[in-house]
Amino acid sequence: MKIKRPFYHYLTIGAVLLYLIVPLLGTLIYSFSTQWHKTILPEGLTFHWYKELFGDSVFLKAMGRSLILSFGATVLSLVIMVPTIFSIVVYAPRLEKFIQSLIVLTYAMPGVIIAVGLIRAYANSGISMVVVTVGAYFVGILPYMYQGTRNSLRNIHAVSLMEAAEILGAGQFTAFLKVILPNIMTGILVSSLLSFSILFGEFVLVNLLVGGSFETIQVFLYKKLNVSGHIASAIVVCYFILICILSVVIVKVTRSKKETV
Amino acid sequence: MTYVTVEKINKSFKGQTVLHDINLSFKQGEFVTLLGPSGCGKTTLLRILAGLIDPEQGVIKIDGKDVTHVKAKDRKIGMVFQSYALFPNMTVAENIAFGLKMKKLDKAAIQKKVARMVELTGLSGKENSYPRELSGGQQQRVALARSIVTGPKVLLLDEPLSALDAQIRKNLQKQLRAIQKELNMTTVLVTHDQEEAMAVSDRIYILNEGYIAQSGTPHEIYTKPVNEFVARFIGNYNVFKGEELSLLTRGTEFPHKLYAVRPEAFTSQMIDNGLEIIGKVDKVMMLGNVTRYELFSNGVSVTAEHLHKSNEDIQEGTLKTLYIDKKDVISLA
Ligand SMILES: Nc1ncnc2c1ncn2[C@@H]1O[C@H](COP(=O)(O)OP(=O)(O)OP(=O)(O)O)[C@@H](O)[C@H]1O
Ligand SMILES: [Mg+2]
Repeated sequence: MKIKRPFYHYLTIGAVLLYLIVPLLGTLIYSFSTQWHKTILPEGLTFHWYKELFGDSVFLKAMGRSLILSFGATVLSLVIMVPTIFSIVVYAPRLEKFIQSLIVLTYAMPGVIIAVGLIRAYANSGISMVVVTVGAYFVGILPYMYQGTRNSLRNIHAVSLMEAAEILGAGQFTAFLKVILPNIMTGILVSSLLSFSILFGEFVLVNLLVGGSFETIQVFLYKKLNVSGHIASAIVVCYFILICILSVVIVKVTRSKKETV
Repeated sequence: MTYVTVEKINKSFKGQTVLHDINLSFKQGEFVTLLGPSGCGKTTLLRILAGLIDPEQGVIKIDGKDVTHVKAKDRKIGMVFQSYALFPNMTVAENIAFGLKMKKLDKAAIQKKVARMVELTGLSGKENSYPRELSGGQQQRVALARSIVTGPKVLLLDEPLSALDAQIRKNLQKQLRAIQKELNMTTVLVTHDQEEAMAVSDRIYILNEGYIAQSGTPHEIYTKPVNEFVARFIGNYNVFKGEELSLLTRGTEFPHKLYAVRPEAFTSQMIDNGLEIIGKVDKVMMLGNVTRYELFSNGVSVTAEHLHKSNEDIQEGTLKTLYIDKKDVISLA
């Protein structure tokens, strides 16, 4: 049976969509336009801004730096946090409360305060601020990594699986590698992709901590805003496409996970 | 010769003792059941046997060796969990092969053993299926196959059939017993279902609130319950105080405090030297091939069961005379 929806439903949905899409569409068109000042539609279309952008070694380097920072922090979190969360969930469930309050703390601190605190603490310590940024990112994505990993472990009843594997003669490490890890892989992958895309768009910390000395795509974009709106738009479009690809991958991975569970 | 002995096992959680001085002993190839109501400590005892939790006190010996402090992975024990705990990322064959791989057997030997297990447990054709593609009964059989393929010294089963429906359950009970006999596998089954315990066991230990209430063969337990708990739990026994029995039988002396009588021990046929009870029939219930009803007499109610016979009509509200042999009136300590 088809339910007839009243007209104003479409109206509100349409309005919201318009509100969300128009800026994106504007940015997209602006990045392809030769000039767009006095006319309703652009005066002409061009790939010029993209050519300039991808011909600019500063842009490519900034992109590379952003990737390194986000990817580094995510991988670090994978390597350190996944086994840690596993140990806590399986062997010391009492510590879960402790970890949870730690995670709430990461939300409680505004980025500016964290940045100022970190600069005060590490500026003269001889530790590179890049490393400090990775460290801060590591803490920042803790909630996502924790939730994802813990939920996957609970879903597969990790404790019983570990016990079953051990009774069958497997050591703890073997059991983790052969039985637990393959079953939580998709869950971890989704959390990692999510963490990565969040970090890739992060501006406050990276601008204050490393800023111009280790120019990332975010900082680069900020600078370009004052130089050329067209190039800035092109950066935003590139960034948006990258995030879209990541989202599609996340959805795909989650789907295939649902089919296997 | 005893094969497994458990001596004076004590265990408490958060200051609350859940197992009190548990002693068990059984022979190689025996099928032993730990039977008791929910929360009486069955799983805890089984997990202590498996080495998954440590007892506070006591000794466990398997095949002459003290294994009290041996880790689960080195105990050479097989265990089937209530939740099955099959590895979701592995096929049926891979699940079964897991324990053999851990023993580092060569490929050919593993294949041969797995194939034999698949056949024995009736899983042919399902070797390459994943656990999620199997029915509950099939998953159960994979769990069983996985735990016995390594040839464990003792097989532990924690309510393996309780999640299955009655029909499949009866079937699997038979298969389980047949496989156990064929492999002469020393087996400990945990269950709260007394019918299941009676059907499959060589020996039953009845647990109540962390104590062993009674142990013995199914026949011994059924015919000679030693206390009220066992009498009620095992066979829906009538439990009477001495004076209630005297009232029922109009004057016969019963000096002990408590007595138990099986519901099917009452008959309508006169018994020489038997006791006679006359009362009003109430609450007649058809339970398939038996009829169960209550008889009220002098304010005491008796539950009786007869095999269903078409020529015998039991009507609510009518008077009926029942007889019982004196030796079927069991005095409880
Ligand atoms: N890890 C634990 N922490 C605290 N108490 C526990 C723990 N495990 C078991 N208990 C307690 O010990 C008692 C016995 O539990 P156990 O699981 O052995 O019962 P059971 O006989 O297997 O019951 P069921 O038939 O319901 O499975 C229960 O009162 C339970 O609450
Ligand atoms: Mg239990």
